Amino acid sequence: MSKLSSFSLRGRKALVAIKDERDASIVRRQFERLGIDSTAWAPGQAIDFAPDVTLIDDELLPLEAPMQRRFVGRCPIIALLGTETPSRLKLVFDLDPASFLVKPLRSAGIYAAVVMAFERSERTNDLKQQILKLEQRLRSRRIVLAAVLQVMHSHALAEPAAFALIRRAAMEQRKTIEELSAEIAAKGIPPRATG
Amino acid sequence: MTKPSVPVGIICSQSGPYQAMGREILKSAMMAVDEINNQAEFDFSIAAHIRDPRGIISEYHTVCDDLIRNVGVEHIIGCYTSASRKQVLPIVERTDRLLWYPARYEGFECSDNVIYVGASPNHNVLPLVRYALDNLSREIFCVGSNYVWTWETNRVTRELVSASEGHILAERLLELGESAVGHIVDEIIRRKPPIVFNTLVGSSSYDFIRAFRAAAEAANLDIPMLSCSLCEPELAIVGPASAGCITSSAYFESIQLSENRSFVARWKARYGDDSSPSVDGQSAYVAVYLLARALQRAGTTDIGEVRRAAAGYRYNSPQGPVWIDGSNNHCVLTPRLAVSNARGQFDIFWEADAPVKPDPYLTQLDVAASPFRETSRGGTSPNAPHLRVVK
Repeated sequence: MSKLSSFSLRGRKALVAIKDERDASIVRRQFERLGIDSTAWAPGQAIDFAPDVTLIDDELLPLEAPMQRRFVGRCPIIALLGTETPSRLKLVFDLDPASFLVKPLRSAGIYAAVVMAFERSERTNDLKQQILKLEQRLRSRRIVLAAVLQVMHSHALAEPAAFALIRRAAMEQRKTIEELSAEIAAKGIPPRATG
Repeated sequence: MTKPSVPVGIICSQSGPYQAMGREILKSAMMAVDEINNQAEFDFSIAAHIRDPRGIISEYHTVCDDLIRNVGVEHIIGCYTSASRKQVLPIVERTDRLLWYPARYEGFECSDNVIYVGASPNHNVLPLVRYALDNLSREIFCVGSNYVWTWETNRVTRELVSASEGHILAERLLELGESAVGHIVDEIIRRKPPIVFNTLVGSSSYDFIRAFRAAAEAANLDIPMLSCSLCEPELAIVGPASAGCITSSAYFESIQLSENRSFVARWKARYGDDSSPSVDGQSAYVAVYLLARALQRAGTTDIGEVRRAAAGYRYNSPQGPVWIDGSNNHCVLTPRLAVSNARGQFDIFWEADAPVKPDPYLTQLDVAASPFRETSRGGTSPNAPHLRVVK
């Protein structure tokens, strides 16, 4: 199967909410050059597709109705800034934008903003996954600790040796340390001491 | 009756590290200006206002500002490196002027105030690297000038090489105008890469080619060298060491088209039998003609009208038919590959079947595809013997 260049945006779908027609036409033309399919959107309109990226004009903020906020968090957002006042920026932060452009728009900068939005979004998602995994591991630490204490008592071992025993048993049984620890803690069955 | 005159700015460096190319651009542009001024087809004449930024980047801004503010030009032809174009871009955009940029460049730009007459990256880098990967090796040693042209060319090369499961063996960069090439040549001779890709520009490139060829010969090595920029006047500057370089370009003096034969004859009559037009020079010549014909069709110098008149208008230029793609202001042209010979010319061995649409953002790039499977002329294929001359 053919592989697209990582910097190629061909075939991506964009939702474009821009108030000023001149800015909107610059985005349309640049997206056409980049191979991005764009759909104009005004807050309140129904969306019948899942966009890969959304461009939203700060003049349309705040988005208050639940329907208007439906896409927030589902795809990277590029904010279009008309003013740099803190009050406006605060509204923009609510969207958690992955990238931004400053109005009036020119063709230069749009490609970089879109690529940066995708890259930022991917990196943020990777970070979220990593955090989720670490949180799960943190939660299971309590169970692992309980299992280690049980093995220390049942086998009269010091803590490092008890943990090593659980780890070896988990490897032999093709389970994670957390899974085996949960079994030990629940059933009170100590691991087989092999090797 | 005297024809009305249209002032046109010409910006090209006549000194500095890429003075040779600046001179070629000026020579070709002035040849076109003189031809146009003597043709009844045009109901105006072009008054060329030449400025020399001397290869100093900040000077491009100064001379462009002078042309717009003091001469009142609406159209400017020139700039060679991307760094120089980027200096001029903010002024032409702010004052709504049109820059006709003749050089091939790395892409990823699309200003409404620039007409990009030279090759886009899909015209030059892609065919060259794909040819190398299909026919020579999947391991490439890159050496180039430390600026955006090399950075982006290397990035595209890396993507294509990675997709072919090959390797970039090294990326060595030299500052523009740097002549200390010995350490890179030594490394190449020591590592014996199957291909060297040279994206050095100007004097650095000439110094490198001479030193590299001499060292390779002394070590009894035959390492092919690739280039996206080498042209006939540079072959003459480099001398015998320039032979055997595989080069990608839209223009070679050896193109067998009647328009080119006539162009070369006029060129030699004007500049001497021992001189040769170059790709960037020919492109400047094309730019002047595209501008003049757009001015004639538009009947005004207004840049919006001229841009519209230029879009889609086919011109049978020395390099073959070319026209501006109105959707991105870049030129539709025919990519070619050639190898330099001992006579200071290029033997063309591949060209696309038809003019190719510019793809400045490489949105159509499919890193796994090969142009030799799709658009070759005369049956060149990945498995065919390489360096087949197109008759």
